[in-house]
Amino acid sequence: MAIKRLFIANRGEIALRIVRAAQALNIETVVAVSDPDRDGAAARLADRAIVIGPASAAKSYLDPRLIVHAAKESGCDGLHPGYGFLSERAILPRLCADHGIAFVGPEPDVIDALGDKLRARAMASAAGVPLVPGSDCVATAADARREGDRIGYPVLLKASAGGGGRGMVIANNADEAEAGFHRASAEAIAAFGDGTLFMERFVPEARHVEVQLMGDGKGKVLHFGERDCSVQRRYQKLVEEAPCAAMPDPLREQLHASAVALAASVHYRNAGTCEFLFDVKRQEFYFIEVNARIQVEHPVSEMIAGFDLVQEQIRIAGGAPLSVAQDEVKLSGHAIECRINAEDVGRDFLPSPGRITRWQPPEGEGIRLDSHMAEGAMIPPFYDSMVGKLIVHGKDRADAIAKLSAALDGFVVEGVPTTIELHRAIVAHPDFVENRIHTRWLEQVLLPERAKRVA
Amino acid sequence: MMDDDAVTRALNDARALLDTLLASGWQDMHAVSGRTEIFIARTGGRANPLRRQAVVAEVPVTVDGPQTAIATEHVSTLVDVLSVGTPVVAGQKVATVRVLEEEMALLSPVVGRVAASPVQPGTLVEFGTTILSIAEAA
Repeated sequence: MAIKRLFIANRGEIALRIVRAAQALNIETVVAVSDPDRDGAAARLADRAIVIGPASAAKSYLDPRLIVHAAKESGCDGLHPGYGFLSERAILPRLCADHGIAFVGPEPDVIDALGDKLRARAMASAAGVPLVPGSDCVATAADARREGDRIGYPVLLKASAGGGGRGMVIANNADEAEAGFHRASAEAIAAFGDGTLFMERFVPEARHVEVQLMGDGKGKVLHFGERDCSVQRRYQKLVEEAPCAAMPDPLREQLHASAVALAASVHYRNAGTCEFLFDVKRQEFYFIEVNARIQVEHPVSEMIAGFDLVQEQIRIAGGAPLSVAQDEVKLSGHAIECRINAEDVGRDFLPSPGRITRWQPPEGEGIRLDSHMAEGAMIPPFYDSMVGKLIVHGKDRADAIAKLSAALDGFVVEGVPTTIELHRAIVAHPDFVENRIHTRWLEQVLLPERAKRVA
Repeated sequence: MMDDDAVTRALNDARALLDTLLASGWQDMHAVSGRTEIFIARTGGRANPLRRQAVVAEVPVTVDGPQTAIATEHVSTLVDVLSVGTPVVAGQKVATVRVLEEEMALLSPVVGRVAASPVQPGTLVEFGTTILSIAEAA
């Protein structure tokens, strides 16, 4: 049954994005807000906003009972979790199911299975998806030494329950593997309450590529091309583009087929992303994980596909079949997205909440801005510091870079420091222009170059 | 008595609420802002909670101490609440709220008498909403 009233369990730009997508489908919207977000853009645009709790995310956006209670009591028959917060916690779709609310996302059992990296690797392997050479569960420092010797150094120790770079250590030899085991395990326990680790080959100068997927929950899965998210700092993406211009077409087709095969094997429902490590030198790709949600960087896929993924999510959650066939998904041109954060780059990217005193975003053909900000808007200190995503679409990568460069030059934000200037430097750098980037390029090349200039 | 500014604000609030109600599919709206409280309903909307308050407010509150507001710490649905005029002691349950199937008691931190209970049972109450005020014993 099509959703008639949608509850949005998120904040910031993605809450606004979902409200707009629902309104385009003539669906009423109710948005959950914490106390400091009660005057936010999503709250103003939605049909109704419900203040669910105080500023603390643990007592508002991260409490699934409050979220589902507010959704149910406000008469909502659908719930979109956005990204982050509870979006990949199986308890949310389970509570939704218990109370007759359609969850805009995958089945809870699929979320559970994919959220466990070891289980996800086993599922990928069963679906014939290439895995980076690695280990099963590593329980002791001695195991770490033995597995490191077998895989070949350098290796990466990773938390089974992890994400966002926490609980991850690189080891270049057996001694480092042993010492790294203790550090990664302690970090994993602190961050996730579970110290289970696994190991895999570390690929220096790898690219991060990922395939945008959409499944109907019955085994039919579409892809909307791949994204290259190699400009990262501490495993957090800063710039994303589509397609991955460094990947040859035959390999690209294999990449898409692998991602679709994995998602189809679990009858994946709704939007998801299959992430891979792309070893450019070996011309191989390896499975990393599946993110069972819409992702921050979904707009670059939308721009090259000319397709609204969030609207499709809502339709599918309402029981509709996929609205397009794979051969109707036409990818064209090149899109790049910059995540603009309110951070002080010169002070080690210190989050800088505060009030926006001037907001003059760029406009023009092929320029899109997904943002909840405006002049006078407040960035509260309680949540992430992203103020918006600037996305451009050009006929090819060079055209997109030219548009992005001009758009960044015309983007004026005052009142808080932002990363706009850093993005200008990234986009202007010869390595970026000539596409010689990798996941550690920002930290190994660009940021040290800038630090030297300041010194 | 309200001063002219307060009257103007109240009228503006009422107009804005009326516009919102007419533009929405809702049956009624109940807004509380400072000392102003407005209830607007379509035909078939719920009963006017202010009328109930106006009636019960006639019960004299015989204590003159300061008022303590008891507000919700998170979104919930009000299950029951003591009526205006009820004497209470510290630690006594004065209201029950529900989140999904779980009910929680709200306790009075003071001795006194219920001076106001502006929310009707069955209402979805947002974070920070005052469910009742207790006039403390002098």
